[in-house]
Amino acid sequence: MNLYEIYFTGSLLLIAAGLYIIASKRHLVKIVIGLEVITLGVNLAIASMGIRIMDGVIVMDALAQSMIAISIAVAAAIAALALSIALNIYRHYGTFDIRKLRRLRW
Amino acid sequence: MDPLTVILILVGAAVAIVILDPVFRKIGIIELGGVIACIAFLSTLILLILDAVMEAPPRMIVFGPDSPLTASLKLDMLSIYLSIIFSGLGLMAAIYSIRYMLFEVGHPSLDDPFGIRVGGLGLDRYYALLLTLIAGMIGVTMANDFFTLYVFWELMAISSYSLVAFRRWSWEAVEAGFKYLVMSTLGSLAALLGIALLYGLAGSLRFDVVRAAVFGGGDMAVALSLVMIIIGFGVTAAIVPFHSWLPDAHPAAPTPISAILSGIVIKTGIYAMLWSMFKIFGPVAYGFGPALIGLGVLTMSFANIAAVMQTDIKRFLAYSSIANIGYIVTGMGLAAHILRTYPSENGLAILALAGALLHILNHALGKGLSFLSTGCYIVSIDSREIDKLEGIGPRMPVTTASLGIGLLNLAGVPPLSGFWSKLLIVSAGLGVPSDSLMLAATIIFIVNCILAAGYYLWLFQRLAFKKPMLNGGHEEVREAPALMLAPLIILAAACMLVTIMLNPVLQFIQSALEVILR
Repeated sequence: MNLYEIYFTGSLLLIAAGLYIIASKRHLVKIVIGLEVITLGVNLAIASMGIRIMDGVIVMDALAQSMIAISIAVAAAIAALALSIALNIYRHYGTFDIRKLRRLRW
Repeated sequence: MDPLTVILILVGAAVAIVILDPVFRKIGIIELGGVIACIAFLSTLILLILDAVMEAPPRMIVFGPDSPLTASLKLDMLSIYLSIIFSGLGLMAAIYSIRYMLFEVGHPSLDDPFGIRVGGLGLDRYYALLLTLIAGMIGVTMANDFFTLYVFWELMAISSYSLVAFRRWSWEAVEAGFKYLVMSTLGSLAALLGIALLYGLAGSLRFDVVRAAVFGGGDMAVALSLVMIIIGFGVTAAIVPFHSWLPDAHPAAPTPISAILSGIVIKTGIYAMLWSMFKIFGPVAYGFGPALIGLGVLTMSFANIAAVMQTDIKRFLAYSSIANIGYIVTGMGLAAHILRTYPSENGLAILALAGALLHILNHALGKGLSFLSTGCYIVSIDSREIDKLEGIGPRMPVTTASLGIGLLNLAGVPPLSGFWSKLLIVSAGLGVPSDSLMLAATIIFIVNCILAAGYYLWLFQRLAFKKPMLNGGHEEVREAPALMLAPLIILAAACMLVTIMLNPVLQFIQSALEVILR
């Protein structure tokens, strides 16, 4: 296995783990964590695509680096927003349990 | 005009509103934020229309050195066409919001635990988010590489999540906001994974470089990235297996935002799908036509049946948005199928795509008009139940007349332009009578159009002519304020205008299509 394959396999594992979290957990904050895990997986996939070998040295493509940096910033914004909405849900219902909500059927 | 100018005007106005809000509150005119938003939308609209009238040649702006690795923006007829629709409906929503949002933020129940008092309204954030939402959508249509597209996409998405959850004193809005956020973020991440795969294949994300790498056909990885991109953008476009956030999110938002979300945000998903499928991948090498036709037919049939069962007028309109997305996707699917299977019948594919693009305009006008009229009813009697709204027509004649024009346009009653867009798609679908797939899809399309026309007219009849069931009827109900009626009248006039000027509009659409199919 070369480095690219290791990274890409890792990213697929992270994405699968995140999807499992979102599908199985009933806690709002855990769902947000699941989203973040998937984002990490996708970022790792971008990194695996950006691996270049120049003169025997492994380097990362500049475009991949900037993509990952911006993607992390976007993910932070989404996580902040999701947590603030979760907090508002907590103020309404006094619980983070998704089963207590009225209309959140997927 | 520079493609960046429009986006800078909108984002700059958003920043200005947030900074200047304390000043507005000090002098006691909190509506000034809305006025700034209106001016920003109006100036972008004028700039774009000037560009369209002068038939400016397509152009590109590159940030930094001109290499395949740098970000860039483009401006061609397709992006001008969509940007005009986006900023036009944005302008209408901003004018409408000035009066409507005072009702909305003055409204929360007094015993709410959130400490929202008139004064700490958050209206500055509302207008800033509205501006960044439209800026994100215009940016998506102007992006010239996949990563710029993704960044503007997230600008649009994050603004719309916050706007859906804007009425945080209502349980409905926060729940719908969370559901929308989770599902739509999953979609964006699927699209980003597809984009990452494309980057691995092409080494760059500029549309021309990616197109050169994948247009002629490709292996499994290319097909996988195509599927991921369709799924990712399809979530925002609310294509049926991925639609379930829409009927919750669109009614829960403040009404002008419902008009924006239903009218144009889902169209951004359609644009991203259209661009990546027809321009980047190419329908000839990848046979996604039948799959698109299937998705479109499923979408419209499901949504039309679900719409009939709704008792809440905003949910009803939200389901009908899904159905209209089904029409557009079917048009795209027919075009892709024709381009791949019958290369000699190129004209039919152009017909189907022109129908889809014209329907984007028609649905934006009609659905914007219907949602904004619904907002007038909500202000007057504070209910969204169709039962309670029955027979309100004579009391609110201007609102009901504009709602009628919007619904007739959506129903596709000739001679309104909603009829012609459906006719274009149908005539393309019947162009090759020997093809049973196209024939079946077109027949289902026609049945759906008739069903939809039936329930739109039924809704209009209930609102306008039926006797009120409640005791005393709607005697205290007054017509909505003039500032809310103005956008309704402008949009109704725009419906008429598009019908009268159908020829120039179709020529414009044809020049937009040349960008895609060239």
